[in-house]
Amino acid sequence: MEEKKIKILKYMFLYVSLILISIIWIIPIITLIMTAVKSKQDFFSGISLFEFPENIEWSNFTNAFTKGRLLTYMKNDLIISALKVPLGILVEALAAFALTRLNIKHKTGIFIFFLIGMMLPMQTALVPINIIYSKLNLINTYFGLFYVYIGFGISFGILILRGFFKEIPKDIDEAAYIDGCNKLRLFWNIILPIAKPAVATLVISDFLATWNEYLLASVIINDNALKTVPAGIMTFVGEHGTDYGYLCAGVLISVIPVLVVYLIFQRYFVEGMSGAVKS
Amino acid sequence: MKAKRLSEASWKNYLFLLPAGIIYLSVIVVPVLYSFFISLFKWNGVGEMEFVKLDNYINLFSNDKVFITALKNNLLWVILTIVVTMTIALAFAVVLNKKFRGRTFFRGVFYFPCVIAPIAVAIIWRWIYNPNIGFINEFLELIGANFRQSWLSNPKVSIFAVFAASVWQSIGQPMILFLAGLQSVPVEVLEAARIDGASGPKKFLFVTVPLMKETFVIVIATLIISSMKVYDVVAGLTDGGPNNATQMLSTYMYSQTFQYSNVGTGTAVACVMVLMMLVVIVPYIIFTAKED
Repeated sequence: MEEKKIKILKYMFLYVSLILISIIWIIPIITLIMTAVKSKQDFFSGISLFEFPENIEWSNFTNAFTKGRLLTYMKNDLIISALKVPLGILVEALAAFALTRLNIKHKTGIFIFFLIGMMLPMQTALVPINIIYSKLNLINTYFGLFYVYIGFGISFGILILRGFFKEIPKDIDEAAYIDGCNKLRLFWNIILPIAKPAVATLVISDFLATWNEYLLASVIINDNALKTVPAGIMTFVGEHGTDYGYLCAGVLISVIPVLVVYLIFQRYFVEGMSGAVKS
Repeated sequence: MKAKRLSEASWKNYLFLLPAGIIYLSVIVVPVLYSFFISLFKWNGVGEMEFVKLDNYINLFSNDKVFITALKNNLLWVILTIVVTMTIALAFAVVLNKKFRGRTFFRGVFYFPCVIAPIAVAIIWRWIYNPNIGFINEFLELIGANFRQSWLSNPKVSIFAVFAASVWQSIGQPMILFLAGLQSVPVEVLEAARIDGASGPKKFLFVTVPLMKETFVIVIATLIISSMKVYDVVAGLTDGGPNNATQMLSTYMYSQTFQYSNVGTGTAVACVMVLMMLVVIVPYIIFTAKED
């Protein structure tokens, strides 16, 4: 009897503390939403953050699209991501395939060579890329941006895919060769489909990294019509004074696609990441 | 006969490495080496380049007070990340590894800030820290606490204010790595420890933690690497201010290069970052390669 009581108390303590911490964790998003629907009058009348705004101001959202060109930024970001994610994974998978299933010298050495890039700060490549791009007229181009994104994603992609490919039994290769498969078809028709879970993880993490990237995007693109969301959102700051209602509406809209992707694929985040640890 | 083709050594095998190799060389390897080359010059980005050998580096360490501040701040950031972020992430993981109703929901709550762009996180927190009508000051007033202040423009607290925003954003990744690590600890071992009379905390410290050695190495390495590179959240919240109180190597590199056109100095800062990273990278890579 006593023991049961202690157990119930323990669970209550667990839930109460988890709920309190969760509230702290969600507060930033709640204030973001509350501010995004706040009208200018409410700002000046000094209505507290803890009261619901008297009149909900939807114009903040329409302003973010019209004045803020948010739709353009989202379109650009989507194009860049749609180019970067599949091409990047293809390139990484080909390399990981060679490193795990083909007869190649210095496999470990090549793998380590590719791994180093994961740790290098983007800052180191910033100035040279800027110089080279200016010479080749690649500043302010989609190609220029997604090309460097692929470059900076290669290390992580090879790490994850190589870890997964390694676990696929070699017997499969033998059987495929006997059936008359060549290497390219073995890669495309057999190995890559088996590696779907790893590919799914990469698609999600790559999409998020690309959609959210700021530093390279702000250096390579300075034409407003070509900016991606993070760099575009920064133009909201200070452009018209700082109008927080409008700014928060912009941030809120920019966060929605990412939250949708996250909620749909939530399962893969945990599973995919644990795969990364085990490999 | 046919099965032999599988293991044949052919130059064609290297073609599979070619696309990745070309992109990697042109985006990472060549630019990094080029950066080391530029860091040996005094250059404003457009005019003549004047070869000054290692003067940029010598200047940074002997005359440049802002650089030294940035270096100290960056090291403080690394230490804070390892101590605070890792402890919270581990605590969350341990609690959320228990079986109870709603744990998936709580995992989701603590993870979701990870998917938001760091620059958006910075904007959200700038609003929370707003000295006049921001959430924190309003809340402090509501509960009658007299701590009202401008969190981001007070040099004494600004770095911790920025760090708090960063913790909110970055707890999810190490938490998930720890969760995966906890799940890889065999149940039988824990059961055996319990039968031998090990209490909860003892069992955790002497059985679970040693078995999670690999996870700790991965978490610590990735946290050090990401905190050495930290840029977006600082750039968006304070941009290194007030009075360099939140200046990091990355923000200093950016302002020297792109605002003050001291390209030689800026790239030298970037190269110092790489050299400092190598101290972490080399042992980590040796560890990773050994695992094979």
